[in-house]
Amino acid sequence: MIKFPSTDYFEALKTRMAAEQERFRRLGFIDATFAVKVSDNGRSRNFVLEFEVFELKNVREVDSVDLKQVDFAIEGDARVWREMIENIKRHGEADTNHDINTLTHFGEQLKVIYDGPDGHDKLYRFMESIQEFFDLSSGVDVSFN
Amino acid sequence: MSYLSTTNFLDDKSFADKWLYTMRTGELDLSWMNARTEKINPSPQNARRGLTYRDLDLGTYGFSDVPEKVRENRSYAPRGAEIPPGLPDAQPEVSRKSELWAFNTEGYYEEAVTRQWNATTDIPWERLEGAELPEAIGKALSQLMTFLTEVEMIATDTPAKWLPRLNPEFIEVRAFIASQAMDEARHAEVFRKRALTTGWGLMKASPMNEMALKHLRDADSFSEMSVALHLVAEGNVLTMFRFSEYLSPTDVDKKIFRLVMQDEARHVGYGMQHFKWVLENFPEKREILHKHLDEAENISFAAGAATELTESFIVLAGGGLKPENIEKGIRITTQFQLKQMEEHFERLDKCGMPERKGERSKLWMMYQMGKAAAEQAGLKI
Repeated sequence: MIKFPSTDYFEALKTRMAAEQERFRRLGFIDATFAVKVSDNGRSRNFVLEFEVFELKNVREVDSVDLKQVDFAIEGDARVWREMIENIKRHGEADTNHDINTLTHFGEQLKVIYDGPDGHDKLYRFMESIQEFFDLSSGVDVSFN
Repeated sequence: MSYLSTTNFLDDKSFADKWLYTMRTGELDLSWMNARTEKINPSPQNARRGLTYRDLDLGTYGFSDVPEKVRENRSYAPRGAEIPPGLPDAQPEVSRKSELWAFNTEGYYEEAVTRQWNATTDIPWERLEGAELPEAIGKALSQLMTFLTEVEMIATDTPAKWLPRLNPEFIEVRAFIASQAMDEARHAEVFRKRALTTGWGLMKASPMNEMALKHLRDADSFSEMSVALHLVAEGNVLTMFRFSEYLSPTDVDKKIFRLVMQDEARHVGYGMQHFKWVLENFPEKREILHKHLDEAENISFAAGAATELTESFIVLAGGGLKPENIEKGIRITTQFQLKQMEEHFERLDKCGMPERKGERSKLWMMYQMGKAAAEQAGLKI
């Protein structure tokens, strides 16, 4: 079991992404760095994910997110992240109510924050790769705090 | 044929004799082997990525040193090749870098090439079998797809129309514009296929939409076209695709909108970077860009408010035609429309034109009015 949120969780997705090289190569270049913020009882854990060419190059946990250093950040309550991950596990991929665009669209569940629209638009330029990256969670046994 | 060669080669005895002489004697000219061109050894900066246009940005072959006014080459001689006398003038209409260049053009092209997808095989069409939608939702979805097919057909024609007019020295921009035409053709295909698979066929064409689209197609200059198409129209369509994905009734529709939004966001990226390039390098063009924006905002507001689009969104967002559905649909659609305008001004601000957020733009004033009315109605914006 891998805990969420943790660097181990994203490392597990990274390993699976590398294993599914052909699938992500088919989706194309993904050159974006974004942060995932998971809030719980007024505290948050933050992870920076750096994608390059076809894969996740690096993931690290940071104390706080500097929006000038990332293209965008997706932030939300641990409860929403958990619901998304459990939904992916159940269906093999996010269903129509739990994909990233739907959850972030009006900022009611997850929220996209950014310094500039260039960075913001990268979420949409690489949307399918990012969605399929999170969908890899279906193959990971995850536990929650 | 509008172009006739100045020589009739098949009737030119000396030309035919030279051809036969070469074959008979084996005496070759070989002057091309001594072409006065630069010798370089490009290699991939990142082996995983492969050999990119950026890796070729070297010496006379590079794009960084292309001057603002390209006077020397008006032919299809590739940038960096020796240009002998006698090349026909291809009469390119756009030979100024400021008219079309954008930061990272070559990167957008490389991204476009790797992120191509196939509307026939990459969409899980088989999942639609047995996925019946209520009549109002099915018809609204088909109306949305009909509207978007119209949009994408002109969005295909417009870059394609400009492609042969761009000076071949700008090979990276031309490649990007060609990839955009392909993207838009695929969008028209996927929306048509989805409209027909709703079981309701196509719905109604939109006069308001097509009037606005004609403005894009008939722009007087490439730069005007780019402001109207890449920055304003596609910026709005990007927000629209995200909203459509949010409203999508099936996972097939979600997948369609996720894939089209990727392409659209790339086109918007080029538009923003071109706009920034012009403002940073040619500040004297600021007022011209304002004039382009005045008209582009006018037509984009008209298309966005088209009955065929707005009402299909209201029905999809509200989930039907009952009064409570309509009320909910209006609330959500209004949020989307205001978000669309807000993101437009956010892009202009970041590109270096914050003054559009004020009386300079009638659309900004409209946005303020709409926002105030929505807040008065209790909508959270």
